[in-house]
Amino acid sequence: MDAGGPLVSMRAKEQPFHVRYRMEVSCLELALEGERLCKVGDYRAGVSFFEAAIQVGTEDLQVLSAIYSQLGNAYFHLHDYAKALEFHRHDLTLTRTIGDLLGEAKASGNLGNTLKVLGRFDEAVVCCQRHLDIARDINDKVGQARALYNFGNVYHAKGKSICWSGAEPGAFPEEVMTALRMAAEYYEANLSIVKELGDRAAQGRTFGNLGNTYYLLGDFGKAVASHEQRLLIAKEFGDRSAERRAYCNLGNAFIFLGEFEVAAEHYKRTLQLARQLKDRAVEAQACYSLGNTYTLLQDYERSIDYHLKHLIIAQDLNDRIGEGRACWSLGNAYTALGNHDQAMHFAEKHLEICRETGDRSGELTARM
Amino acid sequence: EAKSSAVGSSQIFPSDGGEMEPETMEIKSVSEFLTKMHMGSVMSRQ
Repeated sequence: MDAGGPLVSMRAKEQPFHVRYRMEVSCLELALEGERLCKVGDYRAGVSFFEAAIQVGTEDLQVLSAIYSQLGNAYFHLHDYAKALEFHRHDLTLTRTIGDLLGEAKASGNLGNTLKVLGRFDEAVVCCQRHLDIARDINDKVGQARALYNFGNVYHAKGKSICWSGAEPGAFPEEVMTALRMAAEYYEANLSIVKELGDRAAQGRTFGNLGNTYYLLGDFGKAVASHEQRLLIAKEFGDRSAERRAYCNLGNAFIFLGEFEVAAEHYKRTLQLARQLKDRAVEAQACYSLGNTYTLLQDYERSIDYHLKHLIIAQDLNDRIGEGRACWSLGNAYTALGNHDQAMHFAEKHLEICRETGDRSGELTARM
Repeated sequence: EAKSSAVGSSQIFPSDGGEMEPETMEIKSVSEFLTKMHMGSVMSRQ
């Protein structure tokens, strides 16, 4: 099916008026239903309706642009980035053809986000710049802020995409640090606009990502300050997922500040929220972080308690890597307590899992 | 990159920068477009 090309709307023109009228109505009805389904999160069904709307066709190029754009977004949410790219490209071509500047800015923003996820950072930067240029030309402050946020995300992702092995935050190769500094600059520029606009939701998102950027840059004080702002805003909105993310990110930053007790308190809040949100994978991660924090505090009994909790969830989730990590950590904690029988038991379990998963470096460590 | 269950001390806590906030996608809504069109035609009749 040629769901895409701008030729779709031409089909309608070959029909008599009453048929064209019925087609327009049908296309709109299908598109509106697609829109409703996407709003409630049923992207798969939404895609079917939008594609059916394109099949029927429309002479209204603004409607066609909205359909392409929403199809691109639906595929983006479904993680089908090749299809998302295809439809956002159609939308960009269409908006340029009809001289719809605001529509072109939006299409550029969406295309930039999609290219970023695909790791095509240089192309993503071009799209972000076009989004920003148009927003500035038409004096659209909201658009400018959104383009700057997307720019920050592209540079953050670019920094993270460059391979580093074993390096700690703040000690990455210069290329990584440069990309992360660029990300921080764009997030700060975004913040000055969204503060001026009084857009608290946008401020929350930016503080979260800025905190992560400062964390990677090794500026843990600024990371904490940003994540505390993110936490405050998440609470204002009653957004428990964002609150949970902020607590976890704060815990990580306090570890690097050497404030292990404070980190443990934040991880405990993460754990509580993960349980409330019924997110077992995050619950496992919080238990693992708490186990490691109590190891740093040399409180091995509590460390064992949390690593055992992590082990049980990893087993429930059939996460063999997580199970291996829990066994390795438990082996270390029991060794520190002088309980050699339990230490040996978990070391053997760790070795068995490493063999099964083909984890050579884990196997070598286990043998030691 | 293959994950190892035996993690070094620097890998115990995330070095991947923590959890990111969601992307903000631009929305073009057919229903909003129709509302604007309708309002435009009402205004032009007045």
